[in-house]
Amino acid sequence: MTAAADAVSPQGSAWERWRRRLGPWAPVLVLVLLSIAIGIANDRFFSFGNLSRIADAASIPLVLGLGITFIIIMGSIDLSIEGVLSFGAVVLSLLVLNGVNDNDFGLLGVVIVLAIGAGMGFVNGAIHVGLRIPSFMATLGMWFVGVGIGNAILGGIQVRVNDELIRALALERLFGFKYQVWVALLALAGAFVIERYTRFGRYIYAIGGGEDLADLSGIKVRRIRILAFTLAGAFYGLGGVMAVAQQGSAFALIGSDRLFTTVTAVVVGGTALMGGAGGVLNTLVGALIVVVLDNGMVLMGVSPYVQQIVLGVLIVVAVAMSVDRIRTRIVK
Amino acid sequence: MRSTRELARQFMPLITLVVLVVAVGAFQPQFVNPATLLQIASDTATLFVLGAGVTLVIMLGGIDLSIQSVASLTSVIVALLLGQLGYLAFPVAVAIGAGVGLLSGLAHVRLKIPSFIASLAIGGCAAGAALLLSDARSITLGETERGYTAWITGRALGIPNEVVIGAIVLIAGTVVQRYTAFGRFSTAIGAGEPAAIASGIRVGLHKVTAFVLSGAAAGLAGVILAGRLASGSPTLANQLLLPAIAAVIVGGTAITGGVGSIWRTLVGALIITVVRTGMTFLNVDIFLQQAVFGAVLIIAVALTIDRSKIPIVK
Amino acid sequence: MTTPALALRNITKSFPGVQALKDVSIEVRPHEVIGLIGENGAGKSTLMRILAGVYQPDSGTIELAGRPVSFRGAAEAARHGIGMVFQEQSLLPNLTVGQNIYLGAESAFTTGGIIRWRDLYAAARRQLEKVHVDVDPAMMTADLDFATRQMVELAKALTLEERTDGQLVILLDEPTSVLEQKDIDILFARVRELKSRASFVFVSHRLDEVLALSDRVYVMKDGAVVAELPAAEADTHRLHQLMVGRDRQAEYYRESAQRPYGNKVVLSARGLTLAGHYRDVDFDLHEGEILGIAGVIGSGREEVCRTLFGLAQPTAGQILMEGKPVRFNSPSDAVARRIGYIPRERRVEGLVLFLSVTANMTLANLKEMMRGGMIDLRREARMAAGWVERLRIRTPSIRALCLNLSGGNQQKVVLAKWMTAKTRIVILDHPTRGLDVGAKEEVYELVRAMSAEGMSIVLIADTLEETIGLSHTILTMRDGRITHRFDASPGAKPAQVDLIQHMV
Repeated sequence: MTAAADAVSPQGSAWERWRRRLGPWAPVLVLVLLSIAIGIANDRFFSFGNLSRIADAASIPLVLGLGITFIIIMGSIDLSIEGVLSFGAVVLSLLVLNGVNDNDFGLLGVVIVLAIGAGMGFVNGAIHVGLRIPSFMATLGMWFVGVGIGNAILGGIQVRVNDELIRALALERLFGFKYQVWVALLALAGAFVIERYTRFGRYIYAIGGGEDLADLSGIKVRRIRILAFTLAGAFYGLGGVMAVAQQGSAFALIGSDRLFTTVTAVVVGGTALMGGAGGVLNTLVGALIVVVLDNGMVLMGVSPYVQQIVLGVLIVVAVAMSVDRIRTRIVK
Repeated sequence: MRSTRELARQFMPLITLVVLVVAVGAFQPQFVNPATLLQIASDTATLFVLGAGVTLVIMLGGIDLSIQSVASLTSVIVALLLGQLGYLAFPVAVAIGAGVGLLSGLAHVRLKIPSFIASLAIGGCAAGAALLLSDARSITLGETERGYTAWITGRALGIPNEVVIGAIVLIAGTVVQRYTAFGRFSTAIGAGEPAAIASGIRVGLHKVTAFVLSGAAAGLAGVILAGRLASGSPTLANQLLLPAIAAVIVGGTAITGGVGSIWRTLVGALIITVVRTGMTFLNVDIFLQQAVFGAVLIIAVALTIDRSKIPIVK
Repeated sequence: MTTPALALRNITKSFPGVQALKDVSIEVRPHEVIGLIGENGAGKSTLMRILAGVYQPDSGTIELAGRPVSFRGAAEAARHGIGMVFQEQSLLPNLTVGQNIYLGAESAFTTGGIIRWRDLYAAARRQLEKVHVDVDPAMMTADLDFATRQMVELAKALTLEERTDGQLVILLDEPTSVLEQKDIDILFARVRELKSRASFVFVSHRLDEVLALSDRVYVMKDGAVVAELPAAEADTHRLHQLMVGRDRQAEYYRESAQRPYGNKVVLSARGLTLAGHYRDVDFDLHEGEILGIAGVIGSGREEVCRTLFGLAQPTAGQILMEGKPVRFNSPSDAVARRIGYIPRERRVEGLVLFLSVTANMTLANLKEMMRGGMIDLRREARMAAGWVERLRIRTPSIRALCLNLSGGNQQKVVLAKWMTAKTRIVILDHPTRGLDVGAKEEVYELVRAMSAEGMSIVLIADTLEETIGLSHTILTMRDGRITHRFDASPGAKPAQVDLIQHMV
């Protein structure tokens, strides 16, 4: 029925074509207009200091968003961000030079944390694909497993991190921007290459666009799915490292509220939850929108708690705009 | 094959519960005395009320991730309004919970947003509202305000009132599921939405209703929490989402919808509380509990999910 | 004689309850176009799916250039040089044309894990040139019209040339159903050109097209090949006759039980149009009348029925009930007007399989079972038991899940659902699909009884025989329009060949 409807209804009313062409630019337009509006309201917005602050604030949501973008392009979701990030952060704090034990693994510690993130992502994917459990459920479990283990290890204490290398991420600057901004941009470049120039990148779009057709083309759907979750986990691990740098310490709840911000950034950037569209550049724009909005509200003296309400509304609006309501009859 | 799974769904949770009680009791005899068991029952009440609400949504094949934010929000509202409104603060809080549920439901049904993201977003708004109203602080109930919460914290004939409230929710929920059109149609929609649509059932209306009831139940859970802890706080219910969903699934309600009931959620909630209390009795690190629940949830879903119903798992 | 490029020998395939293919043998010679025709359900699609590796045959062999092969999936069939241009578009709209053409075959353009897009697009452009399509391979597929997409699919199938050493066989499954005449001409011209590179199997409902394009034609009926003849020796009339086969058995459809219908018009369509599916549909449905609609897949008859039940909204025209215009925004509006729908997908849309017999029967009319806001479970059970007895539904109990019932009994539960709801008009969409002979007869009997009680029925049947046997009146549809109206009173029934010429 829907196939027939797709087949015969003209693929491009003028409006549809227009929407498809300009649609990808809508988030950019929103970002520009938002920046101009805030800039007019408060001239400090466009100062270099403030722009660099925005870049700082956007770096962690961007890195986390890069990971989940791969998942959302496939039409799945990953709710385990906070779990992976928290656990990674806790482990990192105990591996590098810290205020609790005598470890000093330095860069090796960072590598271990990235591997742990990837490992947790792999488990997500393996559970999701192997047991055929919807991704939101499998990752919901991992969310709490990660936070829970982090909690169990630290038991509510904070671990100061004294490792120079990690501290430098949030303290040292290069060309006026903190190291962590450059790390985030490197991650973006890496993700962009994966998305555009690898078969894996192509296949996640194919899976999101039509899993059955992807399967017919001989794509190993299950393998790609697990790989995507693994990759996402590595990005969350990196997010954990950056979070520790920013806080100067690790604690079990270091991941709180990050899922929400990240998902908002991704969907506001124009990556559709239905899968098959969007990409890491969209996520960059989305992360900037979320951070600029927050920054603007702070500049204008709006209560910081209003921010979360605005984020919630943003998610609803962004998702609602991306849903093709005529074609989807049943939504769960 | 199908029938064994059906039987497992039907009785495994109860058997698990009994085995758990006996097992923990064998290690710690004081666990099985009536006072402890009553304590477990009253500890379960909040979790059960939350779970009962979300059961109605899961029956339809959706999910409500906003419940912990809603419960926190209503705890704040009760704490703020109790001084001015007295008893009226309670229905107001529950109504606000229902209102948040209505928003999630409308976002899901009218805007065709998947339920998990709609409820996550609206739940985020509720959490923001709670932070705003409370200025991110915990609000302790004063002496006079605590006078109003006796119906939550007191005892009747030696039975904690929370247990009575839980029992009322159980009965009301069971009646709704068994004897109302909403209950019947929820099952039908969860078990086969295309057939429900083709039978002329107003699917959207029932989905929104389920979210409203879930919101109201979460609101009530927030009220109970506020009474129990004599305070309202924007993070009061923050660790309850996962245990509540786990309670529903462990009780044998299928995440795909169509199979399940409120009493199963009661059994599931009791299992969760017994495991939690048992772990404390056995000196298991309390922080590991979240991790254990996460794992339990995945295992329970894997055991109960009906894969024939979902051709493509996303 | 040359070795056939592809040969199917004695292929058998059955699904639960249906023998889809019986001992089918087909040969495709090099550089030849084979036409494959047959009514709906004759087994064409199953055969195509076996060729494409989507289904595996129960018995029989597939030979490629004389060597026996077996495919465990579409990808494997493709590796052996079998390409498919699907009836439903199989390109991913969210990828570019070039990406679609080489989807799953990017390894030839990959160095160190990085895809050389420039090379891939250059290769894609060469493929598009083979079919003379002038589009930029970097264009989004969603931006192409359907005719171009069809050509891109053809180009995609032709990439197999570079990946296999043997002969290419390309399956064209209803490729013309969504195309305009000029695009069809272009497609045919390309296929003729490409005969030097590949062999084709062409499936279509449009017999004139099959005759125009094919070298030889195979006619299928009821899962078997009933004829094989050179296209030069056939004409559409002869093909019609071969497709239809044996004569109709009047008694089977209980024609003797057919009563004349009333005068009152209960439902009419005036200029009813659903853009892209059907246009200007007019008819009147009378009290007690069974109105059959005949047409091939894509004729628009299914969409007409879905519109009458509120599952689709017309873009123009009106539905009238007893003279007054009505609008159905959803099935619940239609049900409120006492219209019922018995869908083709019984197990998906007809029944909630995981619900009891009782609950399914009251699904469309639970209101009647309510007392004081509560469902009167005892009354509901009494009513269900009554229907089980009256319709002779074989079920272990009224509390049994519908899942456990046989197809025929499931269908009776669906019928009971609409009878409980005191429906005045029932839309029957393939009511006997997948039922065995005995169960079919019981359903016919029930349909007749419903009509005799004054219920009006719109019928889309599995076969023409069924349509003719059951209906009072028959409309034929072709390409979204009503082409003819037949009176089908007992004794004056039209012949299948009469109908077919208005359908294809």
